[in-house]
Amino acid sequence: MTTTRRTVLAATSGLLAMPNVVRAQGETFRIGALNPVTGAGSPYGSGMQRMIGAAVEAINAAGGVNGRRIEVFSEDTQTNPQAAVLAAKKLIEVNRVRAILGTWSSGVSLAVIPLVNEAEIILMNTSGAPALSVPPANAKGLSYRFQATNDRFGRAFAEIAVREGFRRPATMAFNNASGLGNTEGFRRAWAAKGNQNGEHVVYEPNQPSYRAELLRVLATRPDVIVMGSFLPDTTIILREWFQTGTPMKWIIPGWAANPQLVQALGPAVTQGIIAVESVSNEGAPAFAEFDAAHRRAMGNQPGTANAYAAMTWDMAHTLALAIEQAKSFETAAINAAIRQVANPPGEAVATFAAGKAAIAAGRKINFEGASSVLDFDQHGDVTPDFGVFFIEQGQINRRYVVKI
Amino acid sequence: MEAYLVAIAIVGAIYVLLTLGLTVQYGLTGLVNFGHVGFFAIGAYASALLSLEGVPLVASFACAALAAALAAWPIGLVALRLRDDYFAVVTLGFSETVRLVITSERWLTNGVQGVPGIPRSFAGLGVGMAGSLATLAAIALVCLAVALALRRIARSPFGRVIEAIRDNEDALRALGKDPARFKMQVLALGAALAGVAGAFYAHYITYVSPDQFIPLVTFYVWMAMIMGGVGRVSGAVVGALLLMLFLEGTRFLRDVAPDLISAVDMASVRIGAVGLALILFTLYRPQGLVGDYTRR
Repeated sequence: MTTTRRTVLAATSGLLAMPNVVRAQGETFRIGALNPVTGAGSPYGSGMQRMIGAAVEAINAAGGVNGRRIEVFSEDTQTNPQAAVLAAKKLIEVNRVRAILGTWSSGVSLAVIPLVNEAEIILMNTSGAPALSVPPANAKGLSYRFQATNDRFGRAFAEIAVREGFRRPATMAFNNASGLGNTEGFRRAWAAKGNQNGEHVVYEPNQPSYRAELLRVLATRPDVIVMGSFLPDTTIILREWFQTGTPMKWIIPGWAANPQLVQALGPAVTQGIIAVESVSNEGAPAFAEFDAAHRRAMGNQPGTANAYAAMTWDMAHTLALAIEQAKSFETAAINAAIRQVANPPGEAVATFAAGKAAIAAGRKINFEGASSVLDFDQHGDVTPDFGVFFIEQGQINRRYVVKI
Repeated sequence: MEAYLVAIAIVGAIYVLLTLGLTVQYGLTGLVNFGHVGFFAIGAYASALLSLEGVPLVASFACAALAAALAAWPIGLVALRLRDDYFAVVTLGFSETVRLVITSERWLTNGVQGVPGIPRSFAGLGVGMAGSLATLAAIALVCLAVALALRRIARSPFGRVIEAIRDNEDALRALGKDPARFKMQVLALGAALAGVAGAFYAHYITYVSPDQFIPLVTFYVWMAMIMGGVGRVSGAVVGALLLMLFLEGTRFLRDVAPDLISAVDMASVRIGAVGLALILFTLYRPQGLVGDYTRR
């Protein structure tokens, strides 16, 4: 018994002492990659974490920031606020990171942000909750959101519904902050345009069938159903809808209406679905860079498969460019420089190397990311443009772009 | 570093409190409670919502314990007539019901968006080290008091009765005791402890949402109890701390040997390590680290 306890203690203190050894190597700028590697965010988390690593590799290969290499410490949030708080404490206290990149779910970001404020370091997240923009959460303006808020998605949906001439939209929402945010944003924007909202059904996740919820919506005879949904539930709902034989139009977020959905259901079911995605700057030079890195790191999967990975790629780039711009490693200076390097006006740059060269030459730059053009408003939120895609014969074709 | 250790210690102590609650219920009385997280959630939300309404923390903690204990009452009535396995199913269902109610009753709980901005315990000392240390001291004190009280209870006549319920309920009934009443008291006691743990949790993390109260938490507590030793108060303490060591200690493995394993794989390996430890414990030390070796 005594020996066991001693062994355990010795092993623990050994483990705890190790970071000091690690700490001794060279001057680096330390950042934390805090991503949902396991839990609900796991389809995206590994990609997000790997792309932070890949971006940092590219940045270090271009000579690092202000003459220092960036060093990444990776942690898993388990998509769970409690685990995330401990992981963030570890990153801040033990690894002494100066920025935390890539918290995914709103719950995790909301739990981590007080620690970030306390330590005066920067947080870059991909969460949707509106509360993250404003005090008390973002009282110090240290948090940046690389994803459109759910509310903005909803507003884009409403623009599209108007443009497509729909009259009686119904909504179906996955019961979480994101699903509700999308549909409620839509209903608010739709009502603000002087329209009548239709049936609103909220469904619980992880059901084998959504027939009851679906029939409730279809019974009200809407002309379009706006979804706040994810891939697994969307797949089931669309399959069950197709079996009813009722003609219907769908507006679905791009993370649910994607190539996997078409693959699962086939072209007949998915014909005519409208998919909406914040324009992941495809075609932009930064996206090509990201796509190549994503294929290298993720076994030849295209970059379009993981919109959040594009965001984390951009996070590392934005941060690195801001440090170059600030010519300082102090949080206040870096924080002040983030909008300088990301927002217009300025010379559009797509890579860290190009941005670094332009900054060195004294030019004002505007980093155009792989996930969006990345222009931050006063709350640290981006307002990307939304691409409207139609699924036709199994192909997902972009028709037009909506600005809100 | 210190602040991180304090953070681990606080979460560890919250799990100690939860494990102590389960130890009374399962370890001493043999109630297979698979819904522990439900009481944890009730405590967390009760204290969070009350404190946001301006109720002082001392009172909101008391209400958390009370609310959790009261919630144990109805399931007690329904479920205590059921045998072990059925009781397990009912409690598991109960905790899921609690989560769904929290998700659905948006007027009260803000639904899936969760409740942000819960006041910190000892906010007067600031968000820094002093506040954390005070929180740790408070929860450690509560754990100590509870552990001592449970030891005392286990040796009291009441303790003998509940252990008898675990060992042979029929024999106990033949002696003229009413097991249902004792079971109800034990259930409420364990639930109250989980409720207090929930209150500490809410005021430490400062944000609660329904997806924090999934059955996994219940099973973490079970893991802690099994590793530490079922039916021993010291086992609950050791097991919960061991669980934290596994969950948090593995974080450092990669700092020590970064090339050994990729960042992404580590996350999964950590969960695997806990599972392996659990299997090894069941195989080689079924009574747990400090389990009761006097009985077979």
